[in-house]
Amino acid sequence: MRKARTQAFRQAPWRNFRQSTGNTLLGLVALLVLAGMYLAVNGRLADAGRELLTLEGRRADLLRETTILASQLADLTSPERLLERASSMGFHPAHAKDTEYVVIEGYTPPAAFRAPAPLGSPVQPSGGLSPAYTETLAEWVLRTVEMVRGG
Amino acid sequence: MESQGFRRGRVTSLMIAMAVVAGGLVVQLIRVQFGPYAPVFDARARAGNGRTERVTPARGLIYDRDGVLLATNGTMYYVEIELRQLNDTSRREIASVLSKLLVLPMDDLVAQLTYDWIANGQLRIRLTRQDSRVGRLPIRLDPTVASVLRDFLADPLAPDLSGLDLVPTSSRHYPNGTLAGHVLGIVNQEGEGFFGVEGYYDDWLAGKSITVERTFLPPDAKLEPDPPAGVNLVLTIDADIQELAEIALGEAIESSKAEAGQVLIMDPRNGEILAMAAYPSLDPNHYEPWLVKAEEDEAGITPGVAAQYEPGSTFKVLTMAAALSSGSVRPDDVFVDTGVIEVGGVPIRNWDFGAWGPQTMIGCMQYSLNVCLAYVASQKLTAAPFYSYLTEFGVGQLTGIDLAGEVAGQLRTPRHPEWTESDLGTNAFGQGVSVTPIQLITAASAVANGGAMVQPHVVREVASPQGTYRPKPVVLGRPITPEAARTLTQMLALSLEGETRRATIVGYQLAGKTGTAQIPGEKGYDPKWTIASFLGWGPVEDPRFIVLVRLDKPETSPWGSVVAAPVFQEVVERLVVLLELPPNQAVPMAAAGG
Repeated sequence: MRKARTQAFRQAPWRNFRQSTGNTLLGLVALLVLAGMYLAVNGRLADAGRELLTLEGRRADLLRETTILASQLADLTSPERLLERASSMGFHPAHAKDTEYVVIEGYTPPAAFRAPAPLGSPVQPSGGLSPAYTETLAEWVLRTVEMVRGG
Repeated sequence: MESQGFRRGRVTSLMIAMAVVAGGLVVQLIRVQFGPYAPVFDARARAGNGRTERVTPARGLIYDRDGVLLATNGTMYYVEIELRQLNDTSRREIASVLSKLLVLPMDDLVAQLTYDWIANGQLRIRLTRQDSRVGRLPIRLDPTVASVLRDFLADPLAPDLSGLDLVPTSSRHYPNGTLAGHVLGIVNQEGEGFFGVEGYYDDWLAGKSITVERTFLPPDAKLEPDPPAGVNLVLTIDADIQELAEIALGEAIESSKAEAGQVLIMDPRNGEILAMAAYPSLDPNHYEPWLVKAEEDEAGITPGVAAQYEPGSTFKVLTMAAALSSGSVRPDDVFVDTGVIEVGGVPIRNWDFGAWGPQTMIGCMQYSLNVCLAYVASQKLTAAPFYSYLTEFGVGQLTGIDLAGEVAGQLRTPRHPEWTESDLGTNAFGQGVSVTPIQLITAASAVANGGAMVQPHVVREVASPQGTYRPKPVVLGRPITPEAARTLTQMLALSLEGETRRATIVGYQLAGKTGTAQIPGEKGYDPKWTIASFLGWGPVEDPRFIVLVRLDKPETSPWGSVVAAPVFQEVVERLVVLLELPPNQAVPMAAAGG
């Protein structure tokens, strides 16, 4: 069998060229597949990073917008503004002589105001990206081997 | 054969050339990695990847006791110039646009834009403006103006503003303007708090800045931690009561033509400050003029805790409280007023220079007799116990209120080298002793609160990322007995009804004392101006508020009973409604005033 193969290659030397070309192409294709995978992973990584940066910027904008809106709301509901609006509607501040007190059974005064927790807290952990986006191929192989070994 | 040799030679030459190029590249790579300039190349590469940034958390918010937002954060924009991007056209256009939008002198802007900053090593500058009172200040734009400039930057047909950059910065905003401005204090452009609550709680409100490595490369992006946020504060101040106090004070200033004034309202049971109004009013949004003023008179920014004065007759409350508590006098004890008494060789006379004849202690308080109170302090109580009581009342000491800038006032005791016996006589009716409004109202709160003096405070709740904390009332001391406190309150309720109807309310029994104090100067007491005041509390059966009114240099009348007492009445008429205090049906309407 081996003899027949050797004779076939000797009779048609182009078979040698075709074999070496095939092997080279196989290696090249394997390299291209790896490069493609690497490119795809990096592309997804860059995309995720870009999205993260955009979301961080958006979050900062929204926080800024929230404070501006809260500030505008406070402007509109300030005691001075409310007093002006009430006066323009014909009301005036009640004095002791204008007030009649009525005892209501079971009345409980409203609960005391509790301040909200400060914005941006509690502190978030750093490094929010999955290791899938950050580890190298070698690190992935090592991690996988360790996982297999560890059962 | 020749042609084959020639071809081989050509290939060899090409390979040698390529090897030389490759070798050069390798040498250059080694030089960049390990050569003497390796750190420089490394730094340049890193600079392109990102930058180190100092992240400051948003400053904590401040609410009133019912959740009205008193201090919040806004965004302003600094105008910065990237000098390497400037060109002749953009220099002109930037100066022109800013000058028109912000009404700033064109010359000043052109001078900043044409100065050779790069020669001084600066590649980026922040534009400034001249303020006549303070000096040069950075130009800050509100979001509306900033958005106009951004539109210009995005529009190719708009003026060329190349090099202009708008840098957002957090700015403190006080939605209610002047409301409680003196209590809140101020925050400068660097985010540092001064005076009032902003000054006292600056570290807590500011939070902690952190340093983060910002990357410009999306693959390296990661979530950065938020810096530890500043706490949110809930004050004891009630915005409605504060508004009421400020309106009443403003009207009183206008009608009496006084130079300045304060109204303090406190809950004597727990030391909570419900309102602390002051005139001239301070808008923390526009604090720059106050900083200039503070260089001469810092007390003007927080007068409630820093503007010390000789209290005059309102101080008689403390003298009589000490005498009653020590058992030196009783309400019905009679003093025969001859119109003058000598203490330490100095004659002391009444406010009207008159002799009021036989008077009980109630009468002494009702007619505010200096001679009687000097007699009580010098002959019934004597110096050591008198000053011991004043020290117990906290006179001449800080109350410890949580507002920055408090001062201690001045009290000379017999141990002081400059103390003379005559001081005992004059101190008894509030002369020769200096107090701050917060000190006086705190001392008097002991009388209103059955003898217990509670530390005044303005913060009711602290909300931090770790949780919520509510400070508990701190009893500073019990300078007088509960019996003495009750007796004096009843005496002052009776004397108030006799002294001035301008401070009484139908259906509510109130206790109080007027004060008209002379103002000391370098050459003795000012013959023209006074400080008119009123100190009162109620309802007598269960005091829920204590009010101090102070008017400096009123023009229409010098007397506290004429200009300050009506302010107390005006405030209390509304205060009982806001505090939901029903009238006491047992109080005879006629006797209660009206």
